[in-house]
Amino acid sequence: MLEKRFANSGDAPIETGQAAIRPLFRARWLRWLDRRLPAARRVTLNHRKLFVLPSGAGMGFLLVIFLLWLLGTNYENNLVFAVAFLLLGLFVVLPVHTFANLSGLELQLLDAEPAFAGDFGRARIALHKTGKRCHERVRLAWPPEEGIVADVIESDAREVHLDFPLVQRGRVRAPRIYVHSRFPIGLFTCWSWVDLDVEFLVYPQPKSAGPLPFGASVGEGEQLQAVTRGGDDFAGLKNYVAGDSLRHVAWKQYAGGRDLYSKEYASGSDQHLWLDWDLLGGRDVETRLSNLCAWVLEADRAQVPYGLRIPGQTIAPDLGAAHRQQVLTCLALFPVQGIRQ
Amino acid sequence: MSGGVSQLESLLPRESLLWIFAAQLAVLLPHSVHLPLWLLGGWCIAVYWRLEVFRGRREMPGRMVKLLAVSLALAGLVLTYRRWFALEPMVALLAVSFTLKNIELVSRRDALLSLLLAYFLAATLFVFEQTIPYALYGILCVVIITAALIAQQGLGSARPGRALGMSAKLLAQAMPVMLVLFVVVPRLGPLWAVPQNSNAATTGISDSMSPGDLSELSKSAKPALRISFDGPVPPPEQRYWRGLVYTHFDGRRWSEPGADRGGLNWGRSGPGSRGHGRSHRGEGNDASERPLPAVGPRFRYQVIQEPSNSPWLFALARPHSETRGVRETGDDTLVYKMPVASRLAYDVRSWPRDNASSDARLDALERRNHLQLPAEGNPRARAWARARRDEGLSAEAISDALLNFYNRRFTYTLRPPALGADSVDEFLFSTREGFCEHFASSYVFTMRAAGVPARVVAGYQGGEWVEQQEYLLVREYDAHAWAEIWLPARGWVRVDPTASVAPERIRDGLQSAAADEFMQDALVPLHKFAFISRLQLQWDMVNYRWYKTVVSFDSERQQGLLRRILGEISPLRMALFIGLPMLLALLCLLLWLKLSSRGPTLPVASRLYLRFCQRMAGAGLARNPGEAPGDYARRIERELPRLGPIAARITSAYEKAAYGGDPLAEKQLRRLLRTFWPMRLAGDALRHTDSPTEGQSVGQ
Repeated sequence: MLEKRFANSGDAPIETGQAAIRPLFRARWLRWLDRRLPAARRVTLNHRKLFVLPSGAGMGFLLVIFLLWLLGTNYENNLVFAVAFLLLGLFVVLPVHTFANLSGLELQLLDAEPAFAGDFGRARIALHKTGKRCHERVRLAWPPEEGIVADVIESDAREVHLDFPLVQRGRVRAPRIYVHSRFPIGLFTCWSWVDLDVEFLVYPQPKSAGPLPFGASVGEGEQLQAVTRGGDDFAGLKNYVAGDSLRHVAWKQYAGGRDLYSKEYASGSDQHLWLDWDLLGGRDVETRLSNLCAWVLEADRAQVPYGLRIPGQTIAPDLGAAHRQQVLTCLALFPVQGIRQ
Repeated sequence: MSGGVSQLESLLPRESLLWIFAAQLAVLLPHSVHLPLWLLGGWCIAVYWRLEVFRGRREMPGRMVKLLAVSLALAGLVLTYRRWFALEPMVALLAVSFTLKNIELVSRRDALLSLLLAYFLAATLFVFEQTIPYALYGILCVVIITAALIAQQGLGSARPGRALGMSAKLLAQAMPVMLVLFVVVPRLGPLWAVPQNSNAATTGISDSMSPGDLSELSKSAKPALRISFDGPVPPPEQRYWRGLVYTHFDGRRWSEPGADRGGLNWGRSGPGSRGHGRSHRGEGNDASERPLPAVGPRFRYQVIQEPSNSPWLFALARPHSETRGVRETGDDTLVYKMPVASRLAYDVRSWPRDNASSDARLDALERRNHLQLPAEGNPRARAWARARRDEGLSAEAISDALLNFYNRRFTYTLRPPALGADSVDEFLFSTREGFCEHFASSYVFTMRAAGVPARVVAGYQGGEWVEQQEYLLVREYDAHAWAEIWLPARGWVRVDPTASVAPERIRDGLQSAAADEFMQDALVPLHKFAFISRLQLQWDMVNYRWYKTVVSFDSERQQGLLRRILGEISPLRMALFIGLPMLLALLCLLLWLKLSSRGPTLPVASRLYLRFCQRMAGAGLARNPGEAPGDYARRIERELPRLGPIAARITSAYEKAAYGGDPLAEKQLRRLLRTFWPMRLAGDALRHTDSPTEGQSVGQ
């Protein structure tokens, strides 16, 4: 399962030379990481979770030190030695600073916003200082994405947004976040792979399927019947729900001191907009879901109450953000194999 | 791992560029002394171009332009430097490489490369100069380059104050590691032959001497040698620091043997030519074959010689040195394996001639060499010598007669009149005013004409004590020439004709011998102000100590120091010596980490309440993040009813203490906590709550 998580992160944490042992090695590494750094929505980085190693620049720096040592040896020059040793001393104290820069940083997942497939899911993450120490040039990324750089200096907490590319609909668990920093000189990298338990709800990718199927019903030779857009007859009042159109709010009643109501306009039961699975016969499951998704968005934009009918689930026509989310979630979590007809 | 860095971010912002250029400038400045001007000009152009690119006024140079720049630079190097295996072209090559890198300075990687090169170039400065000012400047360079590296991290780090401050802080922390490594890391000695700084002009005494050479030197107060003694110190009249022996005379110039055959030209050719010159002389008794005298040595001392760019070293007569690269020659001088391009320290033991055994011999070839004279010229001197020999005088008697002659008629002066073709005759019989080289030259000429083997010796004579005889400072104006004659019974004997004219020169130095003329050409006669002279000596002493402790710290001194610190050098003690400071440093760092990571200290009540929460968590009911104390107490009441009452009491006490500032409540809280052990209480019966003894016994 973990291998899968990293499958879309391309070339991620470690480069092992040989392709054959790579998956094996990675699986072991990830198992080890899971034991050492279990998933949690709130993680404080400390010595158990952080790793420090010289970066490429650090290796170059070591090479320079070696060359200086050669220069000092061949010229029997103590001052050149002194420079070489000074730089070596710098190399010795640096990892402590690089480590200290990340140690004590707390990451907390605030939420992961749902998104459509083919889009980026956005995780909102709060970075806290747990001590007085500042955290500079902290980079967060889902490799191979570029991620973001953040400084936590003055304020105690900072909110950052991290985007994750989403390909498949459904519940998608994001891989571990690569938290790293090379502060202060860039010769060492201090890093951790943090699993903030980020899970995205991914709606199907909207794919247009033509105009909204007003009043269409299936049965009569699967012909779409055009029906005049209903909704001119006042039917009654219902409790206002957030997301109801303001145009339909019963302002008169509200002004009279009563609660907020929405006016309901009926257009007859068969004049409801039903986004029906069976209207899209002949297409495969994912395409149907994508088409339904596109309709949902369109209906929502047009403020037309709509219902959803897919195998195994029916949602009565309605409007509003909650309804929209319910419908989209239903589409997102539709079983992959579909239902045999 | 650099995959996470975005393309945009890998481009260099303005601050990064400016920092890189500042670091390069800092490194290039001191090198400008020996780098060609066109290189510095090229650097300026490259920097200007890169900044113009940054301002968007110009494009990055194209392929053709880059190719042109590279070929121009290479052509410049080829034209400037004929020899490639030398230090300056190598340094110039480094400088050229980062100059050229400037015009394609695009990514972080380029910046890093450029700065790493700068580190290296900064260190090469020390191959040229190792004085204190240069050392300080070198440290400054390292601080600036490190700051430039820090500035590459981002805008926040690029502020000058912050970058420099952090750089200085980090390097200060690196200092202890450096000191330990400096003392401990073994010095292996050269792994292969490296190019030396060879273009510098030869200073001091040269390989030949014609009238006027040494009086030229007498105008310089630059230090030449610093000598510290271990044990007895020779009296002033014996401080003859022998450097070269001239045996060949062409009528005007005295030179080393073989110099006229073109085999001896130290400044240009390598160390091999000395051997070449030797072979012409054909002296069979190479120094290494001659046994050292059985008694002695009389004097042990260390000489620190300023760079002279010639291989001759200076020591008292019959020297022997164990220092690596120092060789003893057949005529009792020391030579170094190559021209002395930077300060050189060597230890010498000396056996002065007066107690040397008398079994020395002069073979026929040597005898001929030391009697060599030009075929003609200086007839009056020859006639004078022949007359003395015909009188049947011994060698000593002839020498005494000549010295008497000097004593009665001659004047010692720094500004002798010019001499014509027969320089010896003119000096002896008409001008009679001269500097040491005139006396030495005419003396040896006349002695040779009288059939006594003789030679001219050049070197330094005298010296000035610094800091209560810590060391003897010998300056260029102490340069001196004297003579040695061969007496069959005693071997080579030193004769200083100058001493018979101006004994104070030998006893007290040049300044008192030629007070009126001394340093007359100096722009500012600093030597006339005593306090400035004193300051100069003080500064010289600081330099001397710096050189002795740091610059000339070699494996021998290293072992000595380690032995002094450790008692003996055993693996265990070495490990402790290296390990303990490291451990200490690590502990300090960890302590610092601990202290700097701790949040603001909580008030007492909050700390006590936190303890309560920890104990509750131990009992399996942790406080949720952000849960109010009251809510928490109610939850405890609900889930662990037996703990409910006491939790409520603790909570209310805490609230009173924390928000009401009630000192009594704080005391109560403390008392309640002392007996609050929910892990036991939750399991056992509640009746133990009031037993304070138990609480204490567990609490400690």
